[in-house]
Amino acid sequence: MKSLLALTVFGGGVAHLTLAPALRVADVAPDIPLLVVLLLALRRGPEFGGVAGFAAGILQDAATGGLIGVQALTKGLVGFAIGTLGGRFSVTQPLVQVPGLVLLSIVEGLGRFAILKLFHYPAAFGELMLYVVLPQALYNGFLGAALVFALAWTESLRARTS
Amino acid sequence: MKTRRLVLLGSIVLVCLVLITIQTRGRSSGAGDVVAIVTTPVQTVLARVNRTAFGLWATYLDWKNVRAENRRLRDENQRLRVDALQIGETLDENRRLRRLLVLRDRLPLDTLTGEIIAREWGGWVRSLTVNRGRNDNIVRLTAVISPDGLIGRVVDVRPGAAIVQVLTDPASTVGAHVVRTRTSGIVEGEARGTVRFKYMARDGAGIQVGDLIVTSGQGGVFPRGVPVGRVTAIDDRGSALFHYAALAPAVDFGRIDEVLLVTGDTRHDIAAHFPVDG
Repeated sequence: MKSLLALTVFGGGVAHLTLAPALRVADVAPDIPLLVVLLLALRRGPEFGGVAGFAAGILQDAATGGLIGVQALTKGLVGFAIGTLGGRFSVTQPLVQVPGLVLLSIVEGLGRFAILKLFHYPAAFGELMLYVVLPQALYNGFLGAALVFALAWTESLRARTS
Repeated sequence: MKTRRLVLLGSIVLVCLVLITIQTRGRSSGAGDVVAIVTTPVQTVLARVNRTAFGLWATYLDWKNVRAENRRLRDENQRLRVDALQIGETLDENRRLRRLLVLRDRLPLDTLTGEIIAREWGGWVRSLTVNRGRNDNIVRLTAVISPDGLIGRVVDVRPGAAIVQVLTDPASTVGAHVVRTRTSGIVEGEARGTVRFKYMARDGAGIQVGDLIVTSGQGGVFPRGVPVGRVTAIDDRGSALFHYAALAPAVDFGRIDEVLLVTGDTRHDIAAHFPVDG
């Protein structure tokens, strides 16, 4: 549990630092730590999702120089929620994965905006949604679905060989 | 289990809210410091991993680019070499043809240019095949020359080609004389591919290594004064009536590609039209 948690946070951080700039499309980059947290929360449950989201968020907050605890809170909550609710959905279907990931990304963005707004965050809601949250959510949806597909394919391959 | 989860969730929310509150209450440096104590080492490790990964990736890309560039440059180098060879060959051919045309224009003889299309260099026979034949009114015993000197004579004529017996053919004989001493003799080919000047009267001695031998024009086959070769050695047979001189042919038969066939009257002295200084 602990090593997997460390690996999740560490791997997500490395991926975010390494891949996100390279994956940037029209100035929109995916939130890779969020995707990693969501994907592992689906498999490991709410506790893992919550702690992994908290740790990954803290790292991102510290790295970006923002208000420490905002992303930790939103990612921790989303990780916990998806760990709790994930079992009730058929998450192997792309038709569920893409909208689900988009929705979760939007929820995370809305949560972050709400917390920041409490502390007089200056950006307008509509503008932030249109140019930041929604594009990133869409990107997360498709990239996350691709990751789920890749993981499923790898596992089926491993099962076939063993 | 459920309680544990709720406690965990509550803890996460609480810690986050505390962190946010501390920061917004003006004690941001303290909260930031606490978090930084934990996150800075992790970030340092992440940055190092990131740098290493990017370094490796950049090195790989560099290597790949260098390899691709190397391949491209190698191909280009090969193409340029071929181009250079073709240009060199064209320049060389151009130079040879120019010399041949200059000679043809200067000579007071009717000549026809021909291109060598085959060589027989076996030893039994030494001949060249020229792309001029019966269709071009070439006949047997037509003299064949080049800007450097005598090549030989046509010994066989076919519809589109003629066989030229070169000087080094063992059956080749050409009447000649030494330019400096006017000593007459016969130049004949040898089986080993060399040429010698023989029937040189002893009293005509005084021939020296380096002397130029030219055609004598006797017999009417070859024009007079065409360079045949230079003396490279003298074989003095003591009291014999004649002695011999080994010659270096004026023409490098292995490298000649174009020739002039003397189609008209050969009774001219054309020595002035050939280089005499070697």
